[in-house]
Amino acid sequence: MQNEGIRSNVITDTPVAEPSKAAALFSRPTATTGVIGWLTTVDHKKIGIMYGLAALFFLIVGGIEALVIRLQLAVPNNDLISAQAYNELFTMHGTTMIFLAVMPLGAAFFNYIIPLQIGARDVAFPRLNAFSLWTFLAGGIFINTGWFLNMLPAINDAVPKIGWFGYANLTSTNFSGIGTDFWVFGLQILGISSIVAALNFIVTIINMRAPGMTMMRLPVFSWMVLVTGFLIILAFPAITIALACLMMDRLFGTGFFEPIFGGQPILWQHLFWIFGHPEVYILILPAMGIVSEALPTFSRKPLFGYAIIVFSGVVIGVLGFAVWAHHMFTTGLSTVAKTAFALATMAIAVPTGVKIFNWIGTMWGGQIRFTTPMLFAIGFIWMFMIGGFSGIMHAAAPADGQQHNTYFVVAHFHYVLIGGSLFALFTGMYYWIPKISGRMFTEKLGKWVFWSMFAGFNITFFPQHFLGLGGMPRRTYQYDADMGLNTWNMVSTIGSLILGVGILLFIYHMFVSLKRGEKAGNDPWDGRTLEWSLPSPPPDYNFAAVPNVTSRDEFWARKMIPEKRKLAAREKPEHGIHMPSPSWFPLIAAVGLLIGAYGMAFLKSDYDNFLGFGTLFWPILGLLITIGAIYGWAFEGPGGYHLHPEEEKHDKESSGKSK
Amino acid sequence: MRQSIRLAVFGSLMVLFAGCGVLDNPMEWFRGGNQSTFDVKGPVARQQLDLFYVTLWVTLFIFVTVGGVLAYTTFRFRQRPGDSDNPPPAQTHGHPLVEIGLIAGAVFLLVIIAVPTVRAIYDIYEVPDDDDMLVIDVTAYQYWWAFDYPDEDVTTANEVAIPVGRKVKFNLRTFDVIHSFWVPRLAGKIDMIPNRSNWLWLQADEPGQYWGQCAEFCGESHANMKFRVFAYEEDEFQEWIEHQRSDALEPDDDDELAVEGADLFRRRGCMGCHTVQGTGAAGMAGPELTHFGSRKTLGAGMADNTEENLFRWMRDPDGFKPGNLMALDPQVQNLTDEEIEALVAYMKSLK
Repeated sequence: MQNEGIRSNVITDTPVAEPSKAAALFSRPTATTGVIGWLTTVDHKKIGIMYGLAALFFLIVGGIEALVIRLQLAVPNNDLISAQAYNELFTMHGTTMIFLAVMPLGAAFFNYIIPLQIGARDVAFPRLNAFSLWTFLAGGIFINTGWFLNMLPAINDAVPKIGWFGYANLTSTNFSGIGTDFWVFGLQILGISSIVAALNFIVTIINMRAPGMTMMRLPVFSWMVLVTGFLIILAFPAITIALACLMMDRLFGTGFFEPIFGGQPILWQHLFWIFGHPEVYILILPAMGIVSEALPTFSRKPLFGYAIIVFSGVVIGVLGFAVWAHHMFTTGLSTVAKTAFALATMAIAVPTGVKIFNWIGTMWGGQIRFTTPMLFAIGFIWMFMIGGFSGIMHAAAPADGQQHNTYFVVAHFHYVLIGGSLFALFTGMYYWIPKISGRMFTEKLGKWVFWSMFAGFNITFFPQHFLGLGGMPRRTYQYDADMGLNTWNMVSTIGSLILGVGILLFIYHMFVSLKRGEKAGNDPWDGRTLEWSLPSPPPDYNFAAVPNVTSRDEFWARKMIPEKRKLAAREKPEHGIHMPSPSWFPLIAAVGLLIGAYGMAFLKSDYDNFLGFGTLFWPILGLLITIGAIYGWAFEGPGGYHLHPEEEKHDKESSGKSK
Repeated sequence: MRQSIRLAVFGSLMVLFAGCGVLDNPMEWFRGGNQSTFDVKGPVARQQLDLFYVTLWVTLFIFVTVGGVLAYTTFRFRQRPGDSDNPPPAQTHGHPLVEIGLIAGAVFLLVIIAVPTVRAIYDIYEVPDDDDMLVIDVTAYQYWWAFDYPDEDVTTANEVAIPVGRKVKFNLRTFDVIHSFWVPRLAGKIDMIPNRSNWLWLQADEPGQYWGQCAEFCGESHANMKFRVFAYEEDEFQEWIEHQRSDALEPDDDDELAVEGADLFRRRGCMGCHTVQGTGAAGMAGPELTHFGSRKTLGAGMADNTEENLFRWMRDPDGFKPGNLMALDPQVQNLTDEEIEALVAYMKSLK
């Protein structure tokens, strides 16, 4: 309804530049609706929505894997599933949740929210943004292929079963099959996606800010995404190199990690954790950013200690590179190294604690509204605090000698990643979905979602502290009945079912809200940052008039301070906003990577008499497709078209769209 | 109403804590089982537990204070009816003195943890200076353990004996992938990594049976890779060593089944992988079996060493312990039930 009324206000324009004849082959598609519109889109909002939906899908996949794991462990010496199936499940559960659920769910908000928060019309490189999305999907599909391949009669090792950490030399061809190749190339593809997206967001945040949006006026979520971007481009190369070495070990017989060739399996651990520890902060910093947006809004106060929250985020990012070996306290590090890494790890607790103090300071003296996103944000603080405490316990290296690789660690990082990251992402979903869909949700059901997730989560994971200190190692498909572990395992399984119900309830809630929710309007929460000045959902071009920023919490200032309101009223919509044309090439380039990866995974497998797999044909074909797509990408016409938002802003919900 | 609930919760917690003597031993109510890190019986695990308690008390203190403030804040500053019409609260931006004070407080609390941490690192992870120390070489295989006593000239598998009250240094090596050596009630774990010489030391203060388990994911039967440590008084330990050093017992001639089993052991290729000292069987791929009949467990600490379990193990090794090498041997797959019974009798006779 709303949209149709608006389209009539828009004058469609001819493309900005006619492609030359030579480039006609590469002329850009024009559809902005329908399936083709989605496949070729370069709009950060559509890309964000697709990121979010794919991430939620994988969240459910990973969740089902987790539930099967918990059912297997409900009673001692259970034989619901085999040892191999169990090993596959925990490998894929970890890989899926980290790379395919939590990271992309964060990326969904990077995409949708950042340009809106910084007053930009899109990201710096819209086609590259689409490429990140499709590459992520390619990686997600690729790494899960094994579940289907294993259904074939001749194949039984296509699902990785080496743990999400893939410690050498269990990943050697002597000990693992083609599933490991799927894992290696799947992670490489996902790494490309992450690095490309990170570069895009760094450039966007640094270069695309609206006039007056100085770095110290940047909303904290955008700040944390900026730090995360730097973490990604600095951390991912380490695992890229490690995976390349492993690939060469497996396919071409080099011996980086092969003991019989004098290789060093310990080298993998260093490379992996130089990536793996910053990865933890890649997962948690955007979450902290989201919470730092929601808490001020629902307390009706600015963020307490903005500067120190930003600064401590940066410090966490820097220190995050100096603590990787605390994952390796039991590998026989020297006493000096143990001491150094233990102290550095404890030091990280300081900037983390500072954030918690400031979040409480934000609420202090406020008018706290217990909306669903606020409940998740407060729940986040509690859960993250507990996860942080067990983190300090691990930092005491000798105590970690008992805790390492037990359920105590499992409890710890689930408190950080579910109670922390995921609760914050749920904060973000409830907070921003009215902006994204234009519809409100019902608070009553939202509270049910929160409390069932909160209760289920704690019932699942708090007992795992006891299990771990009671001597239950991780990654074991069975435990004996006489180890004193039976009760808490059963409790934990029951909790996981409650948590599962909570997440299903959330999915249902989203459907209901999209269908029957009330109109959200521009500013349902009395928001503080610029995204709330726009219609819900925002028009293609986001800002009819690029805002002139004069303060932190700009939108709040405009609502509160009459002079700022007057200034804002002087901003006039531009005549004709240039919009980038859609493009096929990001999608094609990602498909090329997918094909190439299949070819590489089968290169040295025993399954080589099938459609030319086992030869270089498929890798080369994939490579050619990707190179061709990049070529086409470079040479397709500049495309683009103009949109003309209505001249008079008589209706705040104005938006526009061509064709 | 809310007030009374909180009082009730607080009160019951206090009663619970008091009843458990929580201040002396905060985890007394959760002793756990035979791999519990709370039920420690040696100086290394004791120091690790004490350090854990330091971290527990400090973080509990932070949790109560910060959590208390957080709970108070959410309660005290909740929106009240009519607030939405009132002007917004004061838009304060932070307070440098508060920030600096909190940072200093946090650093101070971390120092309380850091000092015993560093001390424990140097106590536990340096080679103790002790001439009396016993040295045992451990080699981990998928999915079992070989134990060698280089000075005593003893080799055994999956069950290791140590003297009470003496420091023991375990040299930790692996044959294939990464494993991790862990006896929770005696000491924290150390990994066994290819091309790397790791070790740990521990000491048992009381005689007894201590459970151990591999603590690094090592493949299909990682969960089934366990072992036992038996701590004996010194004289008993010396007896054990003497016994281990002796050749295997020949089965009694009356025990026809065991005699047949000994014959099968030679003929059906068992000796290709297993050593039975004094019989010519000198295989190295599987666990040493010279005194297997005297062991408490089989399958690397997986199950009690009963005739029934032994039969199940040889009947279907892969079903019993997925992914183990013996399952791949066609000679094992072709054994008849009668032959297995004979082999079981022979195994049990190897006291």
